Amino acid sequence: MKPYLSAAVLATASLCHAQAPPDGASLYTLNCAACHMLDQSLVGPSLVEIRKLYLEKPDDFVKWAVAPGKKRPGAVEMPSMVHVGEPGLRAIHAHMISIAEGVKEKKVAKGDPFAQSPTQAARPQVQRIFLPDAGPAAIAIALDDQISLCWDAGECRLRYAWTGGFLEGYAYWKGNGSSLAKIKGTVRYTEPTPLFDGAPKFHGYDMDGGLPVFRYKAGERNITERFTPSTGGFTRHLKLSPASTSPLTLEFPVEKSVEITSDAGTWDKNRLTLSPAEATSFTLSFRFQ
Amino acid sequence: MIPFRLLALAGLLISPALADNWTDHFSFEALPNPPGIDPQVGALEVLPDGRLAAAFHRGEVMIYDPASKSWSLFASGLQEPLGMLVQQDGSLLVMQRAELTRLVDADKDGKAERYETFFDGFGMTGNYHEFAYGPARDKDGSLFIVLGAASSGAPIRPEIRGEFSKIGRADFDQMKDGKNWKENSKLAGRMYSRVPYRGWVIKLSADGRTAEPWASGFRSPNGIGFDTHGRLLVTDNQGDWRPTSPLYEIKKDGFYGHPASLVWRKDWDGRDPLMMPVEELDRMQTPAAGYMPQGELANSPTQPLIIPDGAFPKEFDRQTLIGEMNQPWLVRVLDDEVSGQFQTALVPFLDGSPLGIGNNRLAFGKDGSLYVGKTALSWAGSFGITRVKWNGTPFFSIGGVKATPSGFTVTLSEPVDPSTTGGIITKRHTYKYHANYGSPKVDETKLPAKATLSGDGATLTIDLGGPLKEKYLHLLDLTALRSVSGNGLLGSKAWYQVNKAP
Repeated sequence: MKPYLSAAVLATASLCHAQAPPDGASLYTLNCAACHMLDQSLVGPSLVEIRKLYLEKPDDFVKWAVAPGKKRPGAVEMPSMVHVGEPGLRAIHAHMISIAEGVKEKKVAKGDPFAQSPTQAARPQVQRIFLPDAGPAAIAIALDDQISLCWDAGECRLRYAWTGGFLEGYAYWKGNGSSLAKIKGTVRYTEPTPLFDGAPKFHGYDMDGGLPVFRYKAGERNITERFTPSTGGFTRHLKLSPASTSPLTLEFPVEKSVEITSDAGTWDKNRLTLSPAEATSFTLSFRFQ
Repeated sequence: MIPFRLLALAGLLISPALADNWTDHFSFEALPNPPGIDPQVGALEVLPDGRLAAAFHRGEVMIYDPASKSWSLFASGLQEPLGMLVQQDGSLLVMQRAELTRLVDADKDGKAERYETFFDGFGMTGNYHEFAYGPARDKDGSLFIVLGAASSGAPIRPEIRGEFSKIGRADFDQMKDGKNWKENSKLAGRMYSRVPYRGWVIKLSADGRTAEPWASGFRSPNGIGFDTHGRLLVTDNQGDWRPTSPLYEIKKDGFYGHPASLVWRKDWDGRDPLMMPVEELDRMQTPAAGYMPQGELANSPTQPLIIPDGAFPKEFDRQTLIGEMNQPWLVRVLDDEVSGQFQTALVPFLDGSPLGIGNNRLAFGKDGSLYVGKTALSWAGSFGITRVKWNGTPFFSIGGVKATPSGFTVTLSEPVDPSTTGGIITKRHTYKYHANYGSPKVDETKLPAKATLSGDGATLTIDLGGPLKEKYLHLLDLTALRSVSGNGLLGSKAWYQVNKAP
């Protein structure tokens, strides 16, 4: 705050305190500086920009500061400064206008400075983030540098697979989570409904070679689900327990662009039926055409 | 008294040079950031072996070894981790957006291989402001988490997790309609709770298998922890229904002021809390145990943490410290109890030091170092970790503030120069409880203060000439005080919220 003054000086200062005009510089430091820098846009606009907007307009400045609204898309909305009081806000206005005089705005660097971080650039990679066309508890998985998946931990199921890259997440990362991450590349396969009946309950995942082995329940069935990359697609390894007493039929979407095969069971068009024994452990292969 | 006065005079004559600074007693060291990693810190925890675990904005959990000054990666890929707690078996509980996750390194290779969903029994709309905080552990091993409400700064997502509450002026279609959000947001409430337990504290059994909605009324509660007496403390951020940032003591079934969460009460009658009379809500709410005046003490308080014995001078032992995002200091809690009611005086700590802003998470190392983890998340803030270490030299500070029938007694760490007590400034004001964002000070009054010192000069009695006023925040500005050795107070203002007057 302030350097400590000697008692005598301070006593005089505090005697004058009641009459002294508000100190715009220190009010600015306390209330504004965290978001408004002199010459560079930070959380809010710079003082250089504020000077352009409010030069000789202290009334407008006070009005805005007491009841701010949302002006800039993607920006954080400013909280009300009503607690400062009008004389204080006028002093802040005067201070901002004066120190920004003749100062030039600096440009803010664009692009994600951490795109190449050891974790962001890792392949394979698992990243929980808000994703399009999925529930809010989605998980993104880069199987390798080509094939990626969206797995929904809320519904315990695969939502879609895409090729051509992983995520463009900077809009999400640079903010507070209001933006979705973007998919890099093209969605090649979408699973519109869960494969298994029964209420889903997510138990988490184990990391195996950098890839997750999901553990969940669908009804009374315990399931582990693991994905690995394969040539032109991916392989899905499923284990179910306890063994059911009747055969299991899984229905897949009819998509010409994806060829689905299995290491067990019998296919009838887009439906795969597995015997109780087969259903305890099987793999499905997805190859993009 | 005469010897004091003589000493003080001597002090005045020779002593502007004696003026004390935080940097005379504390060192401030920035830890190296982990290479390449976005260094915004969401959680900090000191492990039993003294290493520091930190969770970062993009979901890494990394371990810092103070001996080698190097980082290693323990886990990655979590979403906005904002709390962490080490378990007895060495696993780490980490609170992320969607769940409380238990990270287990069973094969002891330094990396977690199990990411176990410890608890995810709450709703999410996908709104950015639905942050999740905690856990804090009580002496019986139960865990407490607290869930932030959603913000009308954005709609909900088309897909949500959990039951959607029909209570509210906007229906599901309006709530997810981003195209017309400017209009629809006016119906949503500034902060809203449309899925279960947003704005609630939840109590979990030690194994996470059973959960109990514990207390409601929270807005953006970026701080949960226990004090040394086992009180569960939660901080919240100034905003709608928050006249200024509060500190609460949480009790079962309590309602803590922000109404949106009320719809998830078990016996709720279906009314829209935003349409209820403010007087009724006011009667229902538990008053804050402390208030941090906006722009003066704190704008966005964070984690409460107990100061371990010996980390700071002895008057700090077992007191509570609170982080703060927007002001370049921390907040220190001075406990009081009147007729069984916990209330506090709050004092700035490290104000005027090089600490800086963005003070999101706190942890004490084995050697008494205070680690301060910083973040911004596009709001005011910073990044990285600052290590603050006391050098063992005493300084002039407030030890405690207690309410009396006609004012306060203040204990101080050193005898006071009696010639300086005349400069004490005392004021009080109250706030308005309303849906608006924040409150101006209401009925601010300067109070006449008559100060007397105890025989040893280290206890100050401030007589305000009448009883304390309930529901008022009392400011004791002791900036003018000097110790007999001529030093000013480090942390010289105390804001005492009087809920019960003695």
